[in-house]
Amino acid sequence: MKNNFQNKWVKAVFYILVFFLLREWLLPVLELTDTNYLSIFLAFIVLCLVFSFFSVPWWLSGPGKLLYIGWILVYIYTNEVFFTGEAISFLYNDFITNTSALINRDWPAVTDSFRTVLFFSLLWMTAYLIHHWINVRKNIFLFFFMTVVFIAALDTFSPYAGDGSILRVMILGLLLSGLLKVIKILDQNRLSVSSEKYGSLVIPLIIIVAISGSIGYFLPKANPVWDDPVPFIQSFAEGAGSGLSGAGGIRKIGYGEDDSVLGGGFQSDSTLVFEAVVKTGQYWKIETKDTYTSKGWEQSVASNEIRNYTAGDIIDTGIPTGPVEDQDMAQYTFELPYPFLMYPYGSVVANAQEGTSFSVSTNTQKIETYQQNGNAVELNEYEIGFSEPTYSLTALRETSEDSLGELGAEFDRYLQLPETLPERVRELAQSITEKETNLYDKAKAIERYFPRNGFVYDQTNVSVPTEDQDYVDQFLFDTKRGYCDNFSTSMVVMLRSLDIPARWVKGFAEGEQMQNDNGDRVYQVTNNNAHSWVEAYLPGIGWMPFEPTIGFSGAGNIDYDIEQDSTEPPEEQVVPKQPSKPVKPNAADNKSISERLTETMESFMDWISDNRGRIILWSLIAIAFGIVMFRIRNKWMPKLLVPYYRLRKDNWHSFESSYHRLLKQLSLYGISRNEGQTLQSYANYVDGFFGSKDMKTLTNAYEKGFYGKKIESQEWLKLRESWENLINRTSG
Amino acid sequence: MNNQKKIHAIIDNIEKVMIGKRNIAELSVVALIAQGHVLLEDVPGVGKTMMVRALAKSVSAQFKRIQFTPDLLPSDVIGVSIYNPKDMEFHFRPGPIMGNIVLADEINRTSPKTQSALLEGMEEATVTIDGETMKIPKPFFVMATQNPIEYEGTYPLPEAQLDRFLLKLRMGYPTHTEEIEVLKRAEKSAPIEELTSVITLDDLILLQNEVKDILVDDTIKNYIVDLANRTRKDSYVYLGVSPRGSLALMKASQAYAMLKGRDFVTPDDIQYLAPFVFSHRMILRSEARYDGITPEEVVERILAKTNVPIKRLIKQ
Repeated sequence: MKNNFQNKWVKAVFYILVFFLLREWLLPVLELTDTNYLSIFLAFIVLCLVFSFFSVPWWLSGPGKLLYIGWILVYIYTNEVFFTGEAISFLYNDFITNTSALINRDWPAVTDSFRTVLFFSLLWMTAYLIHHWINVRKNIFLFFFMTVVFIAALDTFSPYAGDGSILRVMILGLLLSGLLKVIKILDQNRLSVSSEKYGSLVIPLIIIVAISGSIGYFLPKANPVWDDPVPFIQSFAEGAGSGLSGAGGIRKIGYGEDDSVLGGGFQSDSTLVFEAVVKTGQYWKIETKDTYTSKGWEQSVASNEIRNYTAGDIIDTGIPTGPVEDQDMAQYTFELPYPFLMYPYGSVVANAQEGTSFSVSTNTQKIETYQQNGNAVELNEYEIGFSEPTYSLTALRETSEDSLGELGAEFDRYLQLPETLPERVRELAQSITEKETNLYDKAKAIERYFPRNGFVYDQTNVSVPTEDQDYVDQFLFDTKRGYCDNFSTSMVVMLRSLDIPARWVKGFAEGEQMQNDNGDRVYQVTNNNAHSWVEAYLPGIGWMPFEPTIGFSGAGNIDYDIEQDSTEPPEEQVVPKQPSKPVKPNAADNKSISERLTETMESFMDWISDNRGRIILWSLIAIAFGIVMFRIRNKWMPKLLVPYYRLRKDNWHSFESSYHRLLKQLSLYGISRNEGQTLQSYANYVDGFFGSKDMKTLTNAYEKGFYGKKIESQEWLKLRESWENLINRTSG
Repeated sequence: MNNQKKIHAIIDNIEKVMIGKRNIAELSVVALIAQGHVLLEDVPGVGKTMMVRALAKSVSAQFKRIQFTPDLLPSDVIGVSIYNPKDMEFHFRPGPIMGNIVLADEINRTSPKTQSALLEGMEEATVTIDGETMKIPKPFFVMATQNPIEYEGTYPLPEAQLDRFLLKLRMGYPTHTEEIEVLKRAEKSAPIEELTSVITLDDLILLQNEVKDILVDDTIKNYIVDLANRTRKDSYVYLGVSPRGSLALMKASQAYAMLKGRDFVTPDDIQYLAPFVFSHRMILRSEARYDGITPEEVVERILAKTNVPIKRLIKQ
């Protein structure tokens, strides 16, 4: 059979195209590894291709390539231009070093020059493979496809931008595949054409590739429907949604200073912070923050007054206190001391070791502890006398919106809201509270809004707002899933949108109730109890705590000084009490890999449980699709089978398997063989059905091979033709 | 002349006198080549004898005929030693069984004793007289006939003896046009007299030896045994096909494959031959008779139900 590759010109075109295709592999590798010397590697590819183009025998081309590699090594690593004695000894030593490193499996010891050699060998192999694909298989599609995948993967997962590259690859690959296909068709039909004739044959192909390439290039391209998968995969692995840099990811719970970026899941931490001996459980307040940034909380530098007290002084925290006769004591023992107090509502007096002084910031209500010399001190033990404030329900119900206008300018910072706050947050606050006439009930309505409207308490699957998203807005309208920071911040923002002064309080929830040796109640407060809640200012009442977080119940005491038959049931426990799981992520995390793995698994399981509906839906769709595809498989299978069996070798085994495949297809088509029917009688039936003789031909050949064991030297090509005739009919 | 051509020459030759009975001629030749014997069951006058004579003439074999009657003795079949007073010794006078092709006409008319003498000869290809065992010359082919109509005064062959026949065939009446053709040919002279042989006896023996080289794939053997097994389990069957029956089917199929010009057996051969090989080897239950089921129908049903081997379970 005449080979159309005898025409050198045609062959040269292929090798040039292949060279450019290989170049697309080389470019990103060198760019990403910061390797220079592109021209040297390209020259090597040229060398390989030239050798195979001229069919240089291996005993000549092999040493030639080796010589080139050796020379390049010398040139790069020793700056010698020729094989001087020095250069040769360098090569020799390098060879010895690397050989021993390889034998000893001392991988780090191999030198850069050896890596270069390996890279050269890779190029060598690739060039050989392509030579094989072009000359023998006459099918470059696999390589073409792999190139596209390679460029796409690099473009996605590495800094390499494959925009231009992918276009060049597409054009080159389509041209190569098409040109080769023409050659293949010519060869199959035993035609041999001149290069001019070949050129004119492929003109339509080139035109189509050119047109489709340029249309593809100039058409507007839609933005990716999916986000860049890399950050998504990373953030998903870390258990959070799409995230802002620096935030997101899982943090550890506990008290932290920085609240500028809220959101994201966190990990529980049951490290004991302190134990407090006290009769009833209290919310342990640390400080408040006043400025909402749409991502988190910051503290304004408004007029701050520092009031200094010494131990035993009556401390004014700006919160109403209860009557003196109800005063109670809380005795703290710290495991993790902080340089400030964690005080219950209604605090009046603090006692600690001799010489301790306290400074209260009116700005944040943080009570910091100092020694006499003015240095901050972390107290291990102290006690606080307090009298819990009690709020009269009657008085609370007398508060009205009108009184809000009379508030002084010092409350402005508690009404601050970011300009970017979406209008729907305000509208929501309005609609929640429009039926209520007094400020207290409005605040209560917001507090109760969450448990009644499908909000979920969750510490792990909490998203971080994206750049143009508002933290509160995201929680209220999108995710409805979060922990105390979400609930408290949302309530503060909604209160403020109603012009009710409100601030965000940080501290610890009451902790776990225990008993000490003396039989006193002890509350153990761990990092898990870190918490945030809300204080609202009601004119005529003062600052009052609210607890919007689902599962927590720690609002101020209400004195139901009106009859219980009031329309408002007292203190509804809307949500069953959960163990106080607090919520203030701490920045630091040094988790081991196994922990991360567990987290990833957990978040994955959570993701599954959260998206169960969708997963089931999609699975059903996928199953339905699968069933449909399975039912109509006789329609599309032949399209796959024909090229598949073309790729296989022409021998008995291929024929046998293709014959059985045909039987299956035929029975799918609706003409099936009865179990007691012989192949011959079935073949007659099939041929009668299609009006052909192909099945008889195939069956005779099959019986000859199967029952007669004559599996050699049948006319495979003719048989395949018959087979393709039939299998294509079954898809009709 | 290759084997297939030889066989076809015989059949064509037979067809000269037997009009429209090519399949019977084929099957008879198959039995001859497979060294089996044929039981022809049909009414008189459809050409059974003509058939056998034509066959014998075609292969230039010696033709003998035994007309069985109730008073026939074994010695009338196998021969007898007669005392010759001249040399004062017994001399064996061979009976009609000592021929190449023997027509045993109306075999069910004779006593079981005589029947068994014939059947022993068929099975062993030897006869024993006065303690002396003598080989029957090869090739040896018996075509026995029996008349299914007249049962009076007959001794039906026991099943164990029917087993000795490779095939049981039925001639059937010729069609209208065929019968006219029969008349035409017999108008002037008996066509059988004009028949000449087409192969020699040695050729026939060669065929009988070469048929053993026809390949029977393991899957085909498996298929045969499957079929035989199913006859043993069939609800209509009281006694199924014996292993001798399986063996017979295999041998017959080899010969049939040779006739078809193949050197391997296909399931088509098996399916074609199974009714002829199996149906006389089975005893049906009385239910089958009430339901009007014939042995042939049972075999057909089994063939339809048994998986034809088209795939090797274990790749070779």
